[in-house]
Amino acid sequence: METLTHIMNGFAVCLQPINLWYTFLGCFLGTIIGVLPGIGPSAGIALLIPVTYGMNPTSALIMMSGIFYGARYGGSTTAILINTPGEASSVMTTIDGYQMALKGRAGAALAISALASFIAGTLGVVGLTLFAIPLASMALKFGPAEYFTLMFFAMTAVSSLAGKSPAKAMISTILGLMIATIGIDLQSGQPRYTMGVPELQDGVGFIIAVVGLFAIAEVFTTMEDMTRGVRTEIIRLKGRLWLTRDEWNRSLMPMFRGGIIGFVIGVLPGAGGTIASIMSYVWEKRMSKHPEEFGKGAIEGVAGPEAANNADTAGAMVPLLTLGIPGGGATAVMLGAFIMYGIQPGPLLFQNRPDLVWGLIDSMYIGNIMLLILNLPLIGIFVRLLYIPGGILMPLILAISTIGIYAINGNPVELYFGLVFGVIGYVFRKIDIPLAPMVLSLVLGGIMEQSFRQAMTISGANPKIFVGSPICITLVALSVLSILLPFLLPRLKAWRDGSRDTA
Amino acid sequence: MMTDRVIFVCTLIIAAVYFYATTLIPSLEIGDPLGPKAFPRLLGGCLLIAAGLLFLEMWKDRKNPAQTTGNAGAGAWRHAGVIVGVSVWTGAYYMVFDKLGYIVASAVYLLALMAWFHRGKWVANVLTSVLFAGLSYWMFVKLDVNLPKGILPF
Repeated sequence: METLTHIMNGFAVCLQPINLWYTFLGCFLGTIIGVLPGIGPSAGIALLIPVTYGMNPTSALIMMSGIFYGARYGGSTTAILINTPGEASSVMTTIDGYQMALKGRAGAALAISALASFIAGTLGVVGLTLFAIPLASMALKFGPAEYFTLMFFAMTAVSSLAGKSPAKAMISTILGLMIATIGIDLQSGQPRYTMGVPELQDGVGFIIAVVGLFAIAEVFTTMEDMTRGVRTEIIRLKGRLWLTRDEWNRSLMPMFRGGIIGFVIGVLPGAGGTIASIMSYVWEKRMSKHPEEFGKGAIEGVAGPEAANNADTAGAMVPLLTLGIPGGGATAVMLGAFIMYGIQPGPLLFQNRPDLVWGLIDSMYIGNIMLLILNLPLIGIFVRLLYIPGGILMPLILAISTIGIYAINGNPVELYFGLVFGVIGYVFRKIDIPLAPMVLSLVLGGIMEQSFRQAMTISGANPKIFVGSPICITLVALSVLSILLPFLLPRLKAWRDGSRDTA
Repeated sequence: MMTDRVIFVCTLIIAAVYFYATTLIPSLEIGDPLGPKAFPRLLGGCLLIAAGLLFLEMWKDRKNPAQTTGNAGAGAWRHAGVIVGVSVWTGAYYMVFDKLGYIVASAVYLLALMAWFHRGKWVANVLTSVLFAGLSYWMFVKLDVNLPKGILPF
């Protein structure tokens, strides 16, 4: 009953004209960000933070979450029309979506992708509504040791699942934590690793790092592709933007299954939309009566993954809002935004700011409806964005990134920091070091160190506190499992294959 | 494989420099049994463990070097020179950002990049760079984001 009251109050907040406008703006910008190459939701949200300083935090966060889930809708457009995922999570949509487009069914592929995104996105928000309060109540029992082990688990999970090499992901995580230690130590007041640079006394701003690592680095990579002569052909959108009855019937169950897979994967730290869409695709292929059609334009291969990667965004909001722990790059930036507005996500947020948290959750229901309208009848407008030449778009993104960094403190020195992060991000992409773990640890690093030191102060410097409660033991065990799993799984598979061969 | 070796060596160097820099932090441990050095030391140790894991991965894949080269194959670096140029040009843009002001510096910066990446379309390039610089300045100033005026009077 209490939850129902909160939901109703949340709707009262998100249906205010100003919040409806920001929901629309977030969804609109998110769709554009999803469609355009060179800028993803993480960088998009980070670039907007300085502009929203003067705004009401509820409206600002509603807009940012709109960008987060809106980008997933837009990401499928490029996947279907130019065989390039606008977002990493749309990678599976390229397989059958592009094949459908080649067969003249681009309209149907875009329609099912928007419908699947809407249905699963809404399912995901229902899941978020149902699970938020029980999880937040459980999180109230967390002390510094539990928080430290929880953040440790989030980082190990992200490290083990991001990229091809767990060791490189771990290096990325630890480098992020090391960068987070730069600046004045909050407990002793001593400067650390500032090298006498006054701009480093407050630490490295995460917005600068995110804009550099995601926006500038992505532009550099695209520019290099352009120099190499990599060209993409856009398939013209023609015919009816709707499905046949048979296509609808074939898509219905994959959408619901994808929604459930996406939500569950989204709640887990590290996995994210890409893994959710891969799992959904594999699942649909296994369930299908016509697996041979997959890869040749099977509509289930679009419906399932698109549903999964949209439900994942609502799932990802569960640990962010209830525990204050992001599970990936975009939610890490959102956590940073919360902190900048002086709001600490976590269990107390549900008690102290129910208007904000429920307004935000309920805005996702409204946002999904807006996105369905934006991505069905208005899709033709967004498709036009794909015709902007890269040679014009990429320099403009660099200029927007410059404004985003400069707007934080008006300090030109920070522009150089952004450029350095851009170069780091570009090099890391080339050598296959994933960036999401670094951003996650950059945002969580300060809180993680404080939790570690608080726990050690409580225990009189006895590290046994980190295995002193059932929650801690479970989280430490999960962390160890996350670290070992990427190394053990291939061995286990080889052993299983070997024993099968000898049998 | 070669790339991984370079990453391995760089990781060890970063860990060594970080450990050394940690010794330079002044210690004040009042009310804090660990002090400001403990967590960084832990991170330095973890980075060494990560380097060890990378070494294990390299050892495991030693017979299959093609798998570990990733995007960093011989051809991949050939066009990286352009990115060095763009980085230097961006650095130069930041150097004059305050002095020339946002509008002038951005218009020149954008025009040069577009002239390289969108060759031959002079009218479109000039119009886009000048209009974008002017309109974005106006829009962000309206949003209370202060961008440098520089040499322009407004």
